[in-house]
Amino acid sequence: MEKKRHFTPGKIVMWIILAVFAVIQIFPLIWLVNHSLANNNEMFTSGILVMPETIRWDNYVTAFVDGHFLLYLRNSLLVNILAVVLVLLFSVMMAFACTRMHWKLSGVVMGLILMGMMIPIHATLLPNYIIYDKLRLTDTLWALLIPYVAFSLPQGLFLTSGFMRSIPKEIEEAAVIDGCGIYRVIGVIIFPMLKTSLVTVAIMTFLNNWNEFMMAMTYLSSPTWKTLPFSVLEFTGIYASNYAVQFAVMALTAAPMVIVYLCLSKYITEGVAMGAVKG
Amino acid sequence: MQKAYSNKKIIFTLIAPGLLMFVFAILAPICLSVYYGFTDFSGLGAYQFIGFNNYKELFGDRNFWMSLRNSLLLAIGFICIQHPLAIITAALLDRMGKRAEGFFRTVYFLPNVISVAVIAYMWKFIYNPNFGLLNKMASALGFSGKTNWLGSGMAIWSVLIVLIWHGFGWGMLIYYTGIKNIDPVLYEAAAIDGADNKQTFLKITFPLMMPVIKINVTLAIISALKQMETVYLLTNGGPGNETQFLANYLYKQAFSSFRYGYGNSISVIFVIVCILATQVLNKIFPKEE
Repeated sequence: MEKKRHFTPGKIVMWIILAVFAVIQIFPLIWLVNHSLANNNEMFTSGILVMPETIRWDNYVTAFVDGHFLLYLRNSLLVNILAVVLVLLFSVMMAFACTRMHWKLSGVVMGLILMGMMIPIHATLLPNYIIYDKLRLTDTLWALLIPYVAFSLPQGLFLTSGFMRSIPKEIEEAAVIDGCGIYRVIGVIIFPMLKTSLVTVAIMTFLNNWNEFMMAMTYLSSPTWKTLPFSVLEFTGIYASNYAVQFAVMALTAAPMVIVYLCLSKYITEGVAMGAVKG
Repeated sequence: MQKAYSNKKIIFTLIAPGLLMFVFAILAPICLSVYYGFTDFSGLGAYQFIGFNNYKELFGDRNFWMSLRNSLLLAIGFICIQHPLAIITAALLDRMGKRAEGFFRTVYFLPNVISVAVIAYMWKFIYNPNFGLLNKMASALGFSGKTNWLGSGMAIWSVLIVLIWHGFGWGMLIYYTGIKNIDPVLYEAAAIDGADNKQTFLKITFPLMMPVIKINVTLAIISALKQMETVYLLTNGGPGNETQFLANYLYKQAFSSFRYGYGNSISVIFVIVCILATQVLNKIFPKEE
């Protein structure tokens, strides 16, 4: 089983170059974790990394409790999972109607939604703030869920309709001839056939919205529905001069996604690559 | 069967939920922006229609042009620094064998799964003049270590570094996938013909990557235009408006300077710029199937 390895000079140079880039990408994160375990005075010493005298786990306790970690994590998970489910559902429904069914405006509707890919989220912040304020939607789950779904839908529709064109029509047409309704065709035949492609849409949607905080910051003011980035944003105010605790809250809020990513990195990187190249 | 496929009721139920959300969250707000863009609304109280005054002011506004210049700088930074490095890394990675490839790919992409809020504040600390990583490294190398990285003159470059660093893994990943899709037979043929690594890269890898490069360049320019989150947290456009970007500027005008009407006129121009840029890029780089 043992493979012979040839370390030619070329290969060693390649390793070194790749390792340098890896260090550049990863070292700031190591530095972050390192400082999160120190006490506040230790980080003003001259060394690049700190050797804490005692490891200050209590920084994390503060981050966990005062950062409303559990509440914000729950909110983030809830709004993101709901958004992914709705985006998948609506994308497949619309893609089916636009690519398979016969109606006059199908091209117009499709074109309109796809135009959404060009529109920057930030251009809607000001008017949406007024709209949600008037409709009393600020500080509700809807204020996040609606724009998250709406802004992920164009890409979702684009990807799913692309995939849908590549699957043969014969199976579903046979089912329709046998009297199977359109809804059942979509649920029982189309969804399972699109499974791998939908993973891509789900990953893209989740990644984009998980990191979002501009909308959340604009439309929410009470902690009820705030999402995970707020743990970090709020700490810079509360613990303005306690940097160690700020480091800890950053490491803590990054942790859930990093863990998920390390477990599923193959699927996530493949999903992103596929989504980005097609999109 | 024709009948089932053109049943209006079913089509309506399939289209309506998504379309409604789209109209409510994207289309209607933009129309409202157009409306408020013609007013001097402060955000509270009464307002008047002032015609195209906001737009006239905008085209004479230094900060508006500064925002566009910064987007341009960022796009150039992406295309001239981030992408060449990403292509080279992807090409090297392609030769490493499965395990090493998986490892490096995971590492390079890692910053992309971390919330922008964390990334921005982390870099704010890295740039911190008192305990920041950069100044400590500088003083370890014998420099004074007192540089104010987010100060006047320096800030825009510091912002560009963060954005180039953060997006590196994403770009690399797409190039890597593009390289993996190249038929290995071509490399074997090149090897038989005695081509060296450099020739193989320039004559096979690079030309066959062109479609992917076009996609990535388009994405880079669009994302340079749309930049907001990192800048908002890192500098909020400052010092002065040196690191201003369109999205951040409209937000600042509306919520800090209480010029909601003016902010909306920037929103409208922002949308137009993004749509124009996308259209122009699609014309320059037509999609080949």
